[in-house]
Parts: sequence; C-alpha cells; structure tokens
Amino acid sequence: MVYYLIICRSLTYAQRTAQVLERMGISGWVQRAPKLISKEGCGYCVRIPERRLTDALTILRREGMAPKQVFLQTADGEYSEVKS
Amino acid sequence: MIYLDSAATTLEKPPQVPRAAAWAMTHLASPGRGGHAPGMAAADLMYQMREQAAMLFHVDDPERVVLTSNATHGLNIAIRSLVRPGGTAVISGYEHNAVTRPLHAIPGVTVRVAAGPLFDQDGVYAAFEREVTPGVDAVICNHVSNVFGFIQPVDRVAALCRERGVPLIVDASQSAGVLGVDLEGWGAAFVAMPGHKGLYGPQGTGLLLCGGQAQPLLYGGTGSLSVRQDMPDFLPDRLEAGTHNVCGAAGLLAGMRFVSRTGVSAIHARERALARRLMDALERIPGVTVFRGWDQSGLCSAVVRGMDCEEAGEALARRGIAVRAGLHCAPLAHRTAGTQDTGTIRFSFSVFNRPDQADRAAWAVGGLAGNLKY
Repeated sequence: MVYYLIICRSLTYAQRTAQVLERMGISGWVQRAPKLISKEGCGYCVRIPERRLTDALTILRREGMAPKQVFLQTADGEYSEVKS
Repeated sequence: MIYLDSAATTLEKPPQVPRAAAWAMTHLASPGRGGHAPGMAAADLMYQMREQAAMLFHVDDPERVVLTSNATHGLNIAIRSLVRPGGTAVISGYEHNAVTRPLHAIPGVTVRVAAGPLFDQDGVYAAFEREVTPGVDAVICNHVSNVFGFIQPVDRVAALCRERGVPLIVDASQSAGVLGVDLEGWGAAFVAMPGHKGLYGPQGTGLLLCGGQAQPLLYGGTGSLSVRQDMPDFLPDRLEAGTHNVCGAAGLLAGMRFVSRTGVSAIHARERALARRLMDALERIPGVTVFRGWDQSGLCSAVVRGMDCEEAGEALARRGIAVRAGLHCAPLAHRTAGTQDTGTIRFSFSVFNRPDQADRAAWAVGGLAGNLKY
C-alpha cells in the first residue's frame, strides 16, 4: 500500500488534524513520524490513504491547518517529499 | 463527617472519577513518547481531556488547554509570561497567595491593588477602572473569592482590559465547574483553574487555558522536536515538559464530563441554595457574623464572637463538621474585607452536599456560640 504522511508539529496537532479529516470522512492514523523524515527529532504525523491526499489538503487549508510537509511512503518503505 | 471544605478540594467525587484514574494507572502509558498501543491510548485520553475542557470553557483550539499540577502552577506560568521585572501588575483586593507570592518573587514589580468593598461589584469595577492604565503588564482577578464566595465582575473587568489593551489573567479556582468560564468571550490572556475542586478531578491536576503567548516554567522533554535544545514554540508542548499526570488527566476528564452532564448552572444553583440555607441559619445565632451578599457563590465565611476562628474550626471538626478556618492563604482578601485580625470560618459546598448537612453545620456552630436556639 502507498500512503501519504502529513507531518505535524506535535502529537496534539496531529490529533487535531486527524480529527478534522475524520469529520470530513477521511480516516487518518496518528503515528510517530519516521526518523528518516523527522529531521528535528521526535515528531508525529497523520497517515492517510494515497487517494485521499487532494481532499485532505483542501480540507486542511480551509481549516487554516495547511501542513508544512507531506511525504509519500511507498510500498517498499521509501519516503519522498511531495509539494503540498 | 459532613464535609464543607470543597473550596479547598472536593472530597466526594463522582464514582467514575476514581475508577478512571485507577484504570489509567495500569492501562495507559506516557503520551507523546511511544507509538505503541498504551502510549497512543494515553494520547487519545489527553486529547479528549483537552477537547472536553475546550468545550466547557470556550477555547477555540484544544492545543490551548494545558495540563498543570494545580491552579497555582498555571498562575505562575501566566504571571511569569506577562509580568516583567520592574513591571506593574494590577490585582483585585481578593487575590490568593497563588497570585501575590509569584508577583512578590519578580524583582522590582509594582503591584497595584484594585480594592473594592466586599460584595460590591460596582465598587470593584470602579477600582479597576482607576488602576488599569496602558502600560500595565497584566491584570489579575479571581472570578470568585476563595474566602467569601464573592463573585467578582470579571466580564466587565475583561471588557475594560480589552479596551485598554492590557492582558488579563483570571484565577478561576472557585468558579470552574460552577460559573461560566469563557476564555474567548473574555479575551483573556490566561485562565488558570484547579482540576480537583469544582471539576471533581483528582488532586494534583489543574488546567491553564492560554489565549496568549506563554513562557515555560519547566524545561525538559516534550516528545517533540527533540534535537532542539530550546522548548517548542507551540502549545501544549511548550508548557508540558516531562511525563504527564495521565492518571490525573483521566480522572479530570471523568470529572469534567460529570460537570457537563449535570450542568454548570444546575451545580451553581444547588451550591448557592445550600450556602443560603446555612447563612440563613447562622444569621439567627447571636454572636455569629455572616459575610453575605447577593453576588455570592456556594461558599461563605463567618466569625463567632469571642472565639478564635481556628479554635472554632477545630471544635467543629471534633463535632464531625469539616471546614477551613484562618486566613485561607488569602491575607489580602482578609485585609480588603477587614477580617485580617480575626480570620474567618469558611463553609464551602459541593453538588454532593445536602440541605440537612447545612442545618447540622449551623446547629454545631450554634453549640459553639453557646446558643442552640437559632
């Protein structure tokens, strides 16, 4: 499976992000951000299915919660940053 | 035992509060640290607690709800964030040592006291109008006096602060869970409250609602941005270094849910009715002076002529009535009301008290005063 990881500044912010998405019908999973993409140390992200990224970004921008970074997690475990 | 010391801490809790705290102790790990199930379950609980508080106290964003260890902790953060060395703070005449001592500890601070007569909201407001001038670092006002139950005109003081561009700190120690507390409506910089009084949570819990920028009091791990050595600049992490009191938060969440379900106004009405019943009875006892006013919550103070208040408190304790006597850590409030030499006996109710308990307390005081025919 391919996922997108929305990087969040804190656990609470990640929870809030996931909640906003959930209310709009997008299931997001709060998890620790992988060390490889979390340059400043411990962090959290919201994982969403590949096909929901566009909707998720639209919702988050509308709520004033546009993410700073989004990464694509491929099936082979690689990460690549995508323009959000 | 009849417990009438809920202004210090509520002793009888809704049963779900100790149940939640005990469950958390063995099922929830440290939030924001591990990504495992008990860690994430703890994170979920913390978020629910913040959301519940945000809803109850009109905070637009759960991130602005900070878990503290008590109201004093929150007030220290708020005061240290706003009041600079050499600066000026305006406080009401009914503040607790939780406000006056942190101010005293900041070098060179000028403290102006907006002292108005007891149970005179207009008088208190007029005092604030005189003292709040542009350039004041912060105004600090408790919502309800912990000594007299006097409900201060916080709505009007908040409007004054907004108009004059001065940050406001509200000490909601005696009002959270009993009166409407409204961070957004007040436009307050901070509102501090305990979790273990009117919110029926465990001792060792408190909340700080942040409307403005805050400076940390405690530095350490937050589970975020760990490479950096300065504290994160976002809430709640900025103010929550170290392991959280998750058991306390679980109990506090259960307590706040109880308050929401019961209704803040219903709780206030019940406690106020109990206090009025007690005051009616006390006023009929010769030698007993009751401090009473219209703008009063569910707590009241009294003195028994010719009897030291601490001795009266001890005597009531021996008769199975638990009250608080003395200066209640609020010498300024006693000075403002003119009771600093005598102190008072304070009776404070929770939603779990009953009318017969108010009657029995009055009867016991009547016994102390040497007159049972009240």
